[in-house]
Amino acid sequence: MKKILFIEDEESLQNVVKETLKENGYNVLSALDGKKGIEIAKNEKPDLILLDLILPQKDGFEVLEALKENPNTAVIPVIVLTNLEGSADIEKALSLGARTYLVKSNYSLDDVLLKVKNVFGE
Amino acid sequence: MEESENWFDSLNLKKTCSKYRVSIFHCPQFLFLIMGCAQILAILTTYKIAKIYQEPEIAALIVLAVSAMIFFIGQIIINSFERIAISSLAKSEFISIISHQLRSPMSAIKWQLDMLLSEDLKKNLSTDKFGEFLKGVYEQNERMIKSVNDLLEVNRIEDGDMVLNPESFSLQALTEQVVNQYTKEALLMNVKISVSLGSDQLVYADKIRVKRVIEYLLDNAVKYSLNGGSIEIDIEHEGKNILWKITDQGAGIPQKDQKRIFDKFFRSKNVARYKTSGSGIGLFIAKSIISLSKGKMGFFSSENKGSIFWFTLPTAGKINS
Repeated sequence: MKKILFIEDEESLQNVVKETLKENGYNVLSALDGKKGIEIAKNEKPDLILLDLILPQKDGFEVLEALKENPNTAVIPVIVLTNLEGSADIEKALSLGARTYLVKSNYSLDDVLLKVKNVFGE
Repeated sequence: MEESENWFDSLNLKKTCSKYRVSIFHCPQFLFLIMGCAQILAILTTYKIAKIYQEPEIAALIVLAVSAMIFFIGQIIINSFERIAISSLAKSEFISIISHQLRSPMSAIKWQLDMLLSEDLKKNLSTDKFGEFLKGVYEQNERMIKSVNDLLEVNRIEDGDMVLNPESFSLQALTEQVVNQYTKEALLMNVKISVSLGSDQLVYADKIRVKRVIEYLLDNAVKYSLNGGSIEIDIEHEGKNILWKITDQGAGIPQKDQKRIFDKFFRSKNVARYKTSGSGIGLFIAKSIISLSKGKMGFFSSENKGSIFWFTLPTAGKINS
C-alpha cells in the first residue's frame, strides 16, 4: 500500500483529502505544521508528499528545503497544494524541487486524486 | 472671466487629485502647475532684472536660483509619484492577499461538498463523518462572512460612515471573554495567555467593535508567537482613560515596516509571512475604531523578540460592587 503524507494546517481539508485517499487504497499520514511534516517525512519515508505552503512552525518552502537537504527525503515526489497563485511563489516552489504545483480552488477533489495516481503511474 | 473659470475647470485638479487619494500638495498635476507658473514668473523676472542691470553675473545668479527652485519642486513631484506608485503596489498586494483569504475557505467548502456529493465516497461515510464535513462547510462559510465583513468595515471607515453605539461596559470582562475564545489556538501555538487587572473602571465605547479590536490584537499575538511563549494582557488606569496593553514574545515587526503597520492592505514581509495567513486590514480597522472612540493606539516592537500593542479608551465610572 502506497504511503502518502499530507502536510496541511486546515483540519477540514485534512479530513476530506485523507478520507478520499483512504477510500482509494492509500495509507495516509498527516501533519498540521511544517516541522512535524519534516519529522514524519524523515521517519516514515512516504512515497508521496502533498504540501501546503502557508504553514505554522516551518512554512512550505522551508519544508521543501529541508526535504532536499536529506538524501532519504530528497527523492520523494512533492505535490504543492496551495491557494497562493503568485508567479514568484510558483517558481520558488518548483525550483526547490516540487514536482507539481496546484492551486486548490482551481481543482476538484477528483482532480487531486488523478494527479496522485499520475505520480504513481496508475 | 467665465472663460477662465471654465479653463481652470477643465484642468479639474481637485477631482484628479482626489482620485489618487493624496493631498493637493502631494498631487503631481498640481505641482506641475506650480512649477510651470514659477518658471514663467522666473523668466519674466530675469528678463526685467537683466534689462535694468545688464550685468551677466546677476542674470546667471537668477537662472541658478530658478534652476535650484525647479530642481526642488521636481524632487517633490518625484516623491509624489512615488507615493502614488506605493499605494498602487499596496492595492495589488491587497488583491493578492484578499483573494488568498477568500480562496482558502472557498476551496475547503468546495472539496467538502465534492465529498458529500460524490456517490462513491458518500456510501462509505458514517453519519458522524457526514456531520463533521457539514460542520466544516459551515465553519468555512462563517470564515468567509467574517472576511467580507472586514472588507465592508474598511469601506465604511474610508467613507466616514462608521456609526458607533457606545455604552458602559467592563473591559476586563470583555477581555476575558475573548481570551476564552482563543484557548484552542493558544494550545496549538504553545502559548500561555494571562490577564492582569490594575483597574476596575468601566469604559464608554462601542462594545461589539472594541471586542473586534481585542480579537484582532489577541489573534495577532497568538498567531505570531511562532516559538510559543507567553502573552500578557494588562488593563490599567491612566488619568481619565483605561490603558489596555498586550505583550507577546513573537516574531515582532522589522524596523523598516513599523511605520506602515497600521496602513490598510499592509502585511510585513517578516519571517512569519508564510507561516500565518492574514488580510492586512485588522490593525487598520482596530486603530480606526479606537480613534473614533476618542482613544489612542500604538505599539513597540522588536524583530524576533516580540511586540507590545496598546490602546486607551475613556472611562465611564466606577463599578458598583
